[in-house]
Amino acid sequence: MTRRSVAARLVRERLDPADIVVCGLGSMARAWREQNAPHLTYYASDPMGTAPALALGLALARPERRVVLLEGDGDLTMNLGALVTIAGAAPANLRVAVFINDRYETGGGQPLPNAGRISYPQIAAGAGWPWAAEAHDESQAGRLLTELLGSSQLGFVAVHVEAEASPYPSDPGATSQAEDRAMFQRRLFAEH
Amino acid sequence: MSEPRAPGTANAERIVTALVSAGVEIAASLPDSWLSPLIARIETEPAIRHVRVAREDDGVGICAGASLGGKRAVLVCQNAGLLLSANALAGYAHHHQLPFLVLAAYRGSYEDRFYYQMYKGLVTEPVLAALAIPFHVVDRIADVAIIEDAVREASLARRPVVVLLRREALLGDAKVTS
Repeated sequence: MTRRSVAARLVRERLDPADIVVCGLGSMARAWREQNAPHLTYYASDPMGTAPALALGLALARPERRVVLLEGDGDLTMNLGALVTIAGAAPANLRVAVFINDRYETGGGQPLPNAGRISYPQIAAGAGWPWAAEAHDESQAGRLLTELLGSSQLGFVAVHVEAEASPYPSDPGATSQAEDRAMFQRRLFAEH
Repeated sequence: MSEPRAPGTANAERIVTALVSAGVEIAASLPDSWLSPLIARIETEPAIRHVRVAREDDGVGICAGASLGGKRAVLVCQNAGLLLSANALAGYAHHHQLPFLVLAAYRGSYEDRFYYQMYKGLVTEPVLAALAIPFHVVDRIADVAIIEDAVREASLARRPVVVLLRREALLGDAKVTS
């Protein structure tokens, strides 16, 4: 099993500087924030369950940029049908890494339905994804993330991470989601 | 004399022309029988990238992401999709403040002929009002210009705007049994 912070570092080390990162909500997003990566990042926050679709829309809007969605299993499980929608659109510039800890960390660590017995890569492959893989330890995670980010097609990696407490930050931060959105867009549009 | 076209073909042409004129480049759709001509026409429109979705809130997310990336987008669905997507619509409207257009078939009113559609007609407008999502009802295709206005309204208001399309606006006055 991989620590969440290690999985986030493995992603950062393999990204292209031009990659755009979209983060689903929850503990995985906090782990990515702690990386202080220079990559243009949109923290998708709520509504829960819609980050994969948002990443798809961004990838379609910006085909010249690669979009990497960092997702949690709780957020993905809320709308597994999005895997079918994404496979149907199949944008070549979208990659997805899902951190699997089998529980709703932010909500208090409650287990996901059928926790521990779900194979997300099998679901993705069954939905028609051209490439889907699963990492159970740090070595596998590094190798498969390299493969995911070295590929030229849509891809999906599930990275199993340790269940570690991920408390809310002590304050809500200085900027609202709408303000963050405006700052993200200002940088994105300046780069084009 | 030209062959008669299927009901809704001409209306679909006018709606897609309005979408393209408004700068819409990405469309997400989930079918309804009243929307069949429109979705078929969107699929053949070279200026629009069309994505078929598994659930309407996928479409809301796609349109929000497209908007985040600087593109204009439309979700095409039945009004049941608005009810299902209430949280997603409210979140992208008020939390992210991302604009896009929703074209929804307005089922469940005087034009309909199914018991199971009627509850949707009763609750759609009150739900949209409660969500503080702007909406407009289009009765006839003659009012298609509202689509371009609604795209501009969404952009200025930084939130989705819904256009509810009655059967006559989508399919004309042909006898329709679906």
